[in-house]
Amino acid sequence: MEEHTVASLAQTAHAVAQSHGEAHELPNFLSILAQLFPDCAIFNFFHRWENVVFSVLVAGFISWRAIVAARSGQFIPKGAQNVWETVTEGLTSFVTGILGPRGIEHVPFLGTLFIYVLFNNWLGLIPLMKSPTSAWSTTIALALVTITYVHTIGIREQGFFNYLKHMAGNPQGAVGLALIPLMLIINIAVEYLAVPLSLSLRLFANISSEDRLLHKFAELNVMYKFLPFFFQLFANILVIIFSLVQAFVFLLLSTVYISLIMPHEDHNPKGTPQDQKLKAIHH
Amino acid sequence: MEYFQENIRLGEVFVQLIAFLIVFFTLKKFAWKPLTNVIKSRRERFEQEWAGIEKMKTELATLETEYREHLQKIEETSRVKMQEAVQDGRRIAREIQEKARAESQASFEKAKENIELEYEKIRINLRREIAKLSLQIAEKVVREKMDPAQHEKKALELIEELEGKL
Repeated sequence: MEEHTVASLAQTAHAVAQSHGEAHELPNFLSILAQLFPDCAIFNFFHRWENVVFSVLVAGFISWRAIVAARSGQFIPKGAQNVWETVTEGLTSFVTGILGPRGIEHVPFLGTLFIYVLFNNWLGLIPLMKSPTSAWSTTIALALVTITYVHTIGIREQGFFNYLKHMAGNPQGAVGLALIPLMLIINIAVEYLAVPLSLSLRLFANISSEDRLLHKFAELNVMYKFLPFFFQLFANILVIIFSLVQAFVFLLLSTVYISLIMPHEDHNPKGTPQDQKLKAIHH
Repeated sequence: MEYFQENIRLGEVFVQLIAFLIVFFTLKKFAWKPLTNVIKSRRERFEQEWAGIEKMKTELATLETEYREHLQKIEETSRVKMQEAVQDGRRIAREIQEKARAESQASFEKAKENIELEYEKIRINLRREIAKLSLQIAEKVVREKMDPAQHEKKALELIEELEGKL
């Protein structure tokens, strides 16, 4: 009886997926509801904005858990506080390892980005859910936020004139001055177009591929009476790992972009006396 | 181009952007800051505790040094006092010995004097006895009608002879 129910659910899911035309990911509860109630405007609306709905779910979950953990504030951390403090310390260590002691101020942004991307990636593993990062719109939004943050930091740290100089390729001599327009075009194209494009496309392509992989194994399960179940289990483990890797790559690249836009004296491993003081406090 | 239009929806991009910004500012204010503060305060407390421990270690080492110095001083004092006591003991023993020797010498002298006195006493008594005996002898001789002068002379000679023997 139970097997029949599962099989019928899977077949329904498969049918819903097929009804999308070129279905390439597992159906989620919003797509199923929209399929079951095609005339319902609310379900159609949510189905249309499903990536946003799932992102909001992730955002709510992360905020809830983080605030609960932070409010605990015990001297000896337990449970959620322990987990979040471990994550915070790990991220702080990672970010300050690349950016130096002053990188500690970027931990909230980079940490939020990492956790948000990670949970968005993992959400697709939960039955009837979807990874919002398998949609390009989501990853573009994240990439745009990152690039905006990076360049805001660049202008703040270097000053507007030095930032422009940096974008013009730090020209020196007559040749450098002559090459300013070209360098400006190249740098603007790279910094404002290629970087967000690569950031967003990498994450979107990887996560949508993972979803396709899961979808194909689910299809095989339906078609071959659950025989390839272990293959799907293996694929799930792979997806867990690759999702983590993709979130980490997003974090790493964002950190590196911040590092590149920072003034060069900040790249000194020892840093200024203020940096050393900050490092001493941190460690 | 169709692919981009199909996959990139500007409205969704904007909403996702806003959603992320909301999460970011929420977490920054209500999660990252308190968590960082907790970690920082804990680290500072650990540092303070460590500093306290180090300070206590230093104080302990100072106290240990002071204690050892004090102990050494006590040992020195006790050694000096013991030596003084030994010296005193030896001095007292020497004094007692000298005193005993002097007393014994005095006793000896006194005994000698006593003996000599007794000797003289005995000698005198003996002379008296001899004289008495001589008189008794003389009485006997007188009773037998002998010449008194001759007999007295004889008696005195006898006495002197006895004295010489004594």
